[in-house]
Amino acid sequence: MYETTYFRASSLEQAVAWLREHEEARPLSGGMTLIPTLKQRLAAPSHLIDLTRLDALRGISVANGVLRVGALTRHAEVAASPVVAQAIPALAQLASVIADPQVRNRGTMGGSVANNDPAADYPSAVLALNAQVVTSERNIAADDYFVDTFETALQPGELVTAIEYAIPLRAAYTKFRQPASGYAVVGVFIAQYADAVRVAVTGAGASVFRWFDAEAALNAELSEASLATVSPDLDTLPDDPNGSAAYRGHLIQTYTRRSLQALIAQPLRQPA
Amino acid sequence: MEFTGSQTIAASREQVWNGLNDAAVLQACVPGCEAFTAESADEFKAVVVASVGPVKARFKGTLLLSERNAPNGYKIEGQGEGGIAGFGKMTATVTLADAEQGGTLLTYVAEAQVGGKLAQIGSRLVSSVANKLAAEFFKRFNTMMSAPAEAAAK
Repeated sequence: MYETTYFRASSLEQAVAWLREHEEARPLSGGMTLIPTLKQRLAAPSHLIDLTRLDALRGISVANGVLRVGALTRHAEVAASPVVAQAIPALAQLASVIADPQVRNRGTMGGSVANNDPAADYPSAVLALNAQVVTSERNIAADDYFVDTFETALQPGELVTAIEYAIPLRAAYTKFRQPASGYAVVGVFIAQYADAVRVAVTGAGASVFRWFDAEAALNAELSEASLATVSPDLDTLPDDPNGSAAYRGHLIQTYTRRSLQALIAQPLRQPA
Repeated sequence: MEFTGSQTIAASREQVWNGLNDAAVLQACVPGCEAFTAESADEFKAVVVASVGPVKARFKGTLLLSERNAPNGYKIEGQGEGGIAGFGKMTATVTLADAEQGGTLLTYVAEAQVGGKLAQIGSRLVSSVANKLAAEFFKRFNTMMSAPAEAAAK
């Protein structure tokens, strides 16, 4: 990698101030995307601002129908958390199938959500669970947060501090794993609320997206038969050597059905 | 890999055509453009910083215009060498037509090639990133062209 200067922040304010001061600095959390990129010399930040000692960005808690997860929480911690398992078991299950054990023990939820890789798992949960992305500046609704490939509503120098998920009646996530990397070739997260069903798809597009036709069908009737009446718009899906639009469309349909089956098999959570 | 897209621009076809041949307009449309110099009416040298996700690489390259058919369209070809990162090339065939509701309809068919380390590591991402860059180029172009026309209408 290229030469860089390592800074370890002891407060959020300090981290933000350093990022503002050094235009070419990059924040470092678990480093599961950034460090391999640096090793390949595909980026040369002037400074790395290590966030991992910021204890204010840790912790998992539930209050008023909301599950709050600190940005520095590692995937393995989410997978093993009894609080997550109680509030949103599908989120714990999702975390347990991200990449491989090494990545799960280093990578953080905030890092994944800030990076917005088009095949990452967490963005589908954030979008389907109607989450608020809490940053050093403000709260951003999930529907406004994900913009495009690797692009979010985050501004330079703005850091994700926590994600607040609206606890659903029930939810489920299934994915088709890329066999080597563990990335989602397609991953579908379905969340059922008292007033609506939300369906978020990752891996199959330029960025995570809601499949509105499926939501409408499932809002009308929560059944496989109802879901079978809709199919993804192939014109909106990438068509490249990694997979044709038809193949991706087929996977979306298949994994949405599997997530729905897993969701329907669960008991309804009693509204608190 | 091929990408298509279109933009409806609130300006006449002649105005849009002039914009497509204006070095200052083209420079403003290239995402991350750091330096831009005209070698001739058809060829420009550019330095571009491509910043996508964790990757940030500086490319030196050229922008070439060909197959001019005024005021109906042309071919625009950009290629860059990013040293250790690899190389990239994008060709777009641009077609102009009068839009039904007034203004000009710009459609493009773009093709991208990437080689070297970027292609090795980022093969699963190449199509969505290239698509995004092409869309960004023409979106910026639309903003550039529509703004003066709207200002004139007021």
